[in-house]
Amino acid sequence: MMWLYHPLQIPLGLIVWGVWFIALYSGLSVGCAVAPPDAAAGPWNWLNAVLGGASLATVGLLLGLSTLCWRASRRVGKNERAKRFIARVGASVHLVAALATLFIALPIVGLPPCV
Amino acid sequence: MIEGRPDELHQQFDEVWGNPRGWRAATIVNHTRIGLLFLLTGLGFFIFGGLLAMLIRAQLALPDQTFMDADTYNQVFTMHGTVMMFLFAVPMMEGLAVYLIPKMLGARDLVFPRLSALGYWCYLFGALILAASLFLELAPDAGWFMYTPLSSLPYSPGVNSDFWLLGITFVEISAVTAAVELVVAILRARAPGMTLQRMPLYAWYILTMAMMIVLGFPPLILGSILLELERAAGMAFFDVARGGDPILWQHLFWLFGHPEVYIIFLPAAGLVSTMLPVFARRPIVGYRWVVVAVLTTGFISFALWVHHMFTVGIPHLAQAFFSAASMLVAIPTGVQVFSWLATLWLGRPVYHVPMLWLFGFLVIFVAGGLTGVMLALVPFNWQVHDTQFVVAHLHYVLVGGMFFPLVAAVYYWLPHFSGRMPSPRLGRWGFWLVFGGFNLTFLVMHWTGLLGMPRRAYTYAPGLGWDTPNLVSSIGSFIMAIGIATVLVDVLLHFRFGVRAAPNPWHADTLEWATRLPPAAYNFISLPSVDSRYPLWDRPDLVKEMARGEQGLAAIAHGRRETWGTDAVTGEVREIIHLPGNTWLPFAVALVLSAVCIGLLVKAYAVASVAIVAAAILVLRWSWENGAHEEGGTAVPISAGDPPLHWRTHNGPGRWGMGVTLLADGALYAALLFGWFYLWTVAPQWQVPAQSPLDARGMLANALLLTVATLWLRRVLAALRRGSDGRLRGQLAAIAALGLLQSAHLLWLMHASGLVPKATAHDAVIAVVLGYTLFHCVLAGVATGLQAWRVHYGYVDRAAPYEPIVLGQLWYYNLGVVWSAYFALVLFPSTWGGG
Repeated sequence: MMWLYHPLQIPLGLIVWGVWFIALYSGLSVGCAVAPPDAAAGPWNWLNAVLGGASLATVGLLLGLSTLCWRASRRVGKNERAKRFIARVGASVHLVAALATLFIALPIVGLPPCV
Repeated sequence: MIEGRPDELHQQFDEVWGNPRGWRAATIVNHTRIGLLFLLTGLGFFIFGGLLAMLIRAQLALPDQTFMDADTYNQVFTMHGTVMMFLFAVPMMEGLAVYLIPKMLGARDLVFPRLSALGYWCYLFGALILAASLFLELAPDAGWFMYTPLSSLPYSPGVNSDFWLLGITFVEISAVTAAVELVVAILRARAPGMTLQRMPLYAWYILTMAMMIVLGFPPLILGSILLELERAAGMAFFDVARGGDPILWQHLFWLFGHPEVYIIFLPAAGLVSTMLPVFARRPIVGYRWVVVAVLTTGFISFALWVHHMFTVGIPHLAQAFFSAASMLVAIPTGVQVFSWLATLWLGRPVYHVPMLWLFGFLVIFVAGGLTGVMLALVPFNWQVHDTQFVVAHLHYVLVGGMFFPLVAAVYYWLPHFSGRMPSPRLGRWGFWLVFGGFNLTFLVMHWTGLLGMPRRAYTYAPGLGWDTPNLVSSIGSFIMAIGIATVLVDVLLHFRFGVRAAPNPWHADTLEWATRLPPAAYNFISLPSVDSRYPLWDRPDLVKEMARGEQGLAAIAHGRRETWGTDAVTGEVREIIHLPGNTWLPFAVALVLSAVCIGLLVKAYAVASVAIVAAAILVLRWSWENGAHEEGGTAVPISAGDPPLHWRTHNGPGRWGMGVTLLADGALYAALLFGWFYLWTVAPQWQVPAQSPLDARGMLANALLLTVATLWLRRVLAALRRGSDGRLRGQLAAIAALGLLQSAHLLWLMHASGLVPKATAHDAVIAVVLGYTLFHCVLAGVATGLQAWRVHYGYVDRAAPYEPIVLGQLWYYNLGVVWSAYFALVLFPSTWGGG
């Protein structure tokens, strides 16, 4: 589990969030250009389902990574402060990224995608 | 190690590190001098931009003013925004970081001093070219964000927009070079023992800011290149009739433009997080949460750009994503605000002039942040779009979020610049005049906007309800100007009348106060080891120990400029970074690049071409004076027990610098691919030829050829890492030849394709992608050939394996570019109904 103490854990959660955000916006644009769902159907259509599913999967991944980092931070010895710092910051960043994903994705359940 | 008495040591260090005077001062590469030059030049442009602001307010003070005509007003407000954003705010923040970061990290200099100098000269020359346009009455006049089609050739036929596109791109080279420099210095040149969690908070802020510049500036650089190619060469990118889309410019601009706000704010917040605990006399509350908040702000700020484009017709759901993200970014900012308040609450604050400016910052910035949340709401945004409300909001955020902390910082670090303390009386007058004048100007401007007055209107008719608020704003702006003049007079007077500063006069915790006041060019006689987050609070004797040469790396008889290279995480010493001395090269390169800029401006393409060749020769010469080259003082070996010089390792700062540079390069390339897919998806009249102009098999063969060359280089580098340099020169020469052969083949493919970039955006984008690829492949080939030559001279071998390893990253990057171009230009169109 040494990878949980790697310094890349510090920005990783937000990198995952960034990739998700690009996929969300470009997926919406491409979906609307290729096969726009009927606006009358409201938010319940194939495109919103795909975007919502991908968002929930991302939230799950980020929460899982956050938990792993947090557990890793509790396993380190007293003299391994650098490791603990990385794991704790990583856990916090993953958690923040999960919350950001959830909040930004919320409009999927309320708005049709292409109008 | 101590080689003599402190005074003798200082003298010996001065011989190696000292700054020449007179015209040879242009050769100085030292970070202290370069940082000061950034600050002084930024101050000059602040005054210039401020005078333009006064002209704007004089024009708008009364209705139906004829003080300026519409054309002049357009130039003045465009230049005010451009100067303040590009020539003042970013260079000032970077300049302060260039000055402070090595000192705070306990280092002698930044890791690439020649790059710092190049950045400064590019900034100065680019800024002068841009500023000259106003005096020639040819200044840019399409607004500081240069929207197409207004800035395109049909609607801006003069050279006004060209000044902006070329001048700003030139200045942005400076921003990116400084950012690369700062990232690597923070990660690889900290004091021994300064682990990540012991880094000063300011370093976290600057690391985040610099990475944001690395990723955020390239989209605008690309946009500027594309628009200039459209204007000067007739290529099609933003012209709807030829398959382009003006909205693409908006995306590229705001992909840079919104992070830019945080690029300015975050370093200022870093200054607050540095000063406030000193005056509160306790460590900041929630160090770790502040780090998380800074990182979060940096990332989320990249997901806000579309909130500048809510009125262009984007689907509601997409607007909702960006609206949510825009509201969300207030939370990490709020975490920092609460951390500052808690630090004050739990501390024992003492009140000096910088604290006044910090309070001003808190009040104004929080108000600006709140109107930002209002603007994140789509319906409200539609209502106030392009009104004076937006102007008021952005000034609350930028002046509150950047200018107030900056003035606090100037007062705080004045002893560094002069060795003297500021005057409390005049400083207070200055603050209250600025604070009162600012709010009178911009608080009232919110109402002017809500009353419907559009921004950028050069005058207005009486009786619309805008007369009084405009007059009040203008009066306020002049009060603010008097306040700023008071601050400037105060700063000037203190150089003569200020009380001599004692060592560490504010009782600060960070290492920049362990230097002499003002500091010597080498910062410290000996470099400290750090075992806490607050080294000067926890070890007050450290300052004297460092000055006596009792800490690390105090040897100087070898004649080399040296600082520690440390592990990015643990802060353990890995190598000695061997720094270059003063040189004309950065100044000369910037001068020649400015000739390129002017040549393109006046369409003297022969001059520009000659200047480009001259710049290339100078840069190759620059790369020649590296590593084992005798110019750097390599004759004297290192002391027994010391780690190796960085160019005798596999992982020195250059490797990191190349990596970060390629990140910036990759951001530009990703923005280019974004443009390709964007136009393909949404351009209203996108035109795809029935048959692809590219030879698919030829493109595949080209990619395979580069793959073979890269894999060969990989084998050579692996052997070098193992300590084997057999046939190194011949292998590098052969790989260079293979690379150049692949470049020639690519050039032939471009020629044979028969692309017509003036006819369609489709062909224009392909031409740029191929041109970009060709440039990089030629660069890698030439640089590898140079390495083979350096092997011949003995500058590169198994004992000095560093440079080919650094260069290897460019080959891997090129491989990614060539294959992704193959997928984007050849495979994607064939599956998506084109070619």
